[in-house]
Amino acid sequence: MATTALVELRDVTKAYQLGDESFRALDQVHLSIDAGDFVAVTGPSGSGKSTLANVIGGLDRPTHGQVVVAGEDLAGMGDGALSRFRIDRIGFVFQSFNLKADGTALENVMLPLVFARVRPKERRARAAACLELVGLKDRMGHRPSQLSGGQRQRVAIARALVTDPRLLIADEPTGNLDSARGEEVMDLLASLGQAGTTLLVITHDPTVASRAGRTIEVRDGKVLEAVR
Amino acid sequence: MRFADYVSLALRSLRRSRLRSALTIAAILVGATGITVMLTFVTSVKHYVISQFTDSGQDRQVQVAQTSDLSYRASGQVDGGGPGGGSGSAGQVVLGPTQEAAIAAISHVSGVAATSGSFGPGFEYLAFGGKQLSAQRLMGYEPNGVVRPSMVAGRSFGTADRSGVVLLSKDYATALGFGGDPARLVGQMVVLHTQAGYTGGGATLPNVLPPQRQCEQGQRNCFGGPTSGLPAIDIPARVIGIVSSEDQQGAIILPLPWLIDLSDQSQPKQVQYPQSFGNQPRPGQPAGEPVPRTGPPSGPGAVQGGWQRPAAAEFIAGSGGYGSFIVDVDDSANVPSVAATIDRLGLHTATGLAALAEQKHAADVIGLVLGALGLVALGIAALGITNTMVMSVLERTREIGVMRAVGARRSAIRRLFAFEAAMLGFFGGVIGVAIGYTITLVAAPLIRTAVKSGDIAGTSFSVPLWLVGVVVAGTTLIGFVSGLLPARRAARLDPIEALRYE
Ligand SMILES: Nc1ncnc2c1ncn2[C@@H]1O[C@H](COP(=O)(O)OP(=O)(O)O)[C@@H](O)[C@H]1O
Ligand SMILES: [Mg+2]
Repeated sequence: MATTALVELRDVTKAYQLGDESFRALDQVHLSIDAGDFVAVTGPSGSGKSTLANVIGGLDRPTHGQVVVAGEDLAGMGDGALSRFRIDRIGFVFQSFNLKADGTALENVMLPLVFARVRPKERRARAAACLELVGLKDRMGHRPSQLSGGQRQRVAIARALVTDPRLLIADEPTGNLDSARGEEVMDLLASLGQAGTTLLVITHDPTVASRAGRTIEVRDGKVLEAVR
Repeated sequence: MRFADYVSLALRSLRRSRLRSALTIAAILVGATGITVMLTFVTSVKHYVISQFTDSGQDRQVQVAQTSDLSYRASGQVDGGGPGGGSGSAGQVVLGPTQEAAIAAISHVSGVAATSGSFGPGFEYLAFGGKQLSAQRLMGYEPNGVVRPSMVAGRSFGTADRSGVVLLSKDYATALGFGGDPARLVGQMVVLHTQAGYTGGGATLPNVLPPQRQCEQGQRNCFGGPTSGLPAIDIPARVIGIVSSEDQQGAIILPLPWLIDLSDQSQPKQVQYPQSFGNQPRPGQPAGEPVPRTGPPSGPGAVQGGWQRPAAAEFIAGSGGYGSFIVDVDDSANVPSVAATIDRLGLHTATGLAALAEQKHAADVIGLVLGALGLVALGIAALGITNTMVMSVLERTREIGVMRAVGARRSAIRRLFAFEAAMLGFFGGVIGVAIGYTITLVAAPLIRTAVKSGDIAGTSFSVPLWLVGVVVAGTTLIGFVSGLLPARRAARLDPIEALRYE
């Protein structure tokens, strides 16, 4: 029953110790995401959206509870296994792009394949294919400074896709973009969703959320399912 | 992550902050250059010292002498006397042909040469081109190639050089006006002028002795020598080589057989004086013994029965023996055992091995001290690397977060930064060795002119290959170790915090 879901969170709590008080960024969260879902995560700032995304993406560890992604229980994994899990299963897209300024678009997209120990020739081909997919075929040799904000975020999306992940996690991908550029990026994400990629997109923007098949709201570390 | 990836990622980030990387590398290369230059100098000198030993064969030689301090036994001037000196004082072995044969029979001995500084015909002077120089120090080397004096010009004796040739020490060349180019003296004829009364090899011996000028009561021989009234003669000799003055000073070196021939003075078998006084030869006294006399004869005496000389072996023993032997050993490893065997013959030996070890040790100590100074410089440079890497980690915190997010494990991050630090060390080492090499290229001719001694001129002063390897590997290792701490910091960063870092 649970095995059908791509992401399965059971009673997940992430607590921070602040002085003598314990603060719960995630509070007994139960969540299940099916493969192919396009899930929007909304909620006020500081509610725990990023924490939720990081726990699912194997970048953060919960204080308590079980996280199963693509059949792998992240709880017992060491650094090596968790890193391998991130390479194989997860693609991250950040609000501030986080591209290497001194690398070309192609080099930025190839970076995850370096850690995945993919052969250099294959890296180039796969990165080029992903850049083509995000519509930047003719910008491969450009550096981030030579690209617009929307183009930069599309490079970041290509980088997230290059390892062919099961789940793409985007943490406020349009947060640093004006609405037109934001639209452009959301169009790309939506088209990826239509093509079958499972998406978890964090956003403040209600119009962005409306494109998702499913919206969940996070408040004070608790996940509330929005009405479909 | 592959090795090539570490290289390209490290190179890229070094290039990103060019100035800082360049300064860090500069600090390393100062140390590396210093170590390269200093150790090159030390190893070259050491190599030179060793090659001096091995080229001259000293590492395979045993010096044999009568006394342990290698001092020659002064036997004074041999003034034509017979084997009157006997066979040395009690308990002391006199180096002579008997020992030569005994030593030659020892296993591993491949050659024995006697040298002598202890007998000589007493030359008045050496003459060349109107100049006369004192000829006090006569040496004899057996011409079989075992004695190998260090030559400034020409060659030493070969087996064919039995007589008529001479080696002069360089100070003779200088005194004769060949200081600038001693080689020009080679091939020239010099004259060895004997003392009056010379009756050794080459002398024309008269049938009638001139009246003697003076003869002390009890003097055993007045038939030769300065008082005999016989003339001095000139003995020509061709200079075939100039010996380094460091090796021999003020020395005239003759082939040993010739020296013996010149030194071994002839005696008349019997002399008949017109008026007899003093001790006439007693009846029954064997011919060949010098005639003991007590007073100076006034008139000329007729030589009866011709002239005679003692056999060479007798003469040598009578003159106190050879100055020393030089024994060639087939392999330097056998030198100690050969020396011990010769010691058991009652002779005293000395080998060059201890001196060589001492010189090697001295060079090692100097190298160690200089190397330590270079290491101090490198130690300071190492702190520079650590500092650079700490800054690099800070600057690239976000990038570290991204790398972790896309799947880099902690160990990959740690290796990446350690690798980058090692590259700083590697480049510092490579450039340092290159600069050091250039310096030695430039300095070698300067050193050769500064050190006037002709011997060192052949020393190469080139950076040995092992030193290149050691310096580059060393600086790379230093870089790696210096980068470990910052690298560990980078690896320990929490990816989420790193991604949030401004
Ligand atoms: N390392 C931390 N230590 C203490 N509190 C933290 C830490 N990281 C996040 N938090 C807190 O957890 C809460 C949730 O953070 P986050 O998931 O980033 O919120 P969101 O992404 O929804 O804005 C916030 O109140 C934040 O202050
Ligand atoms: Mg957030």
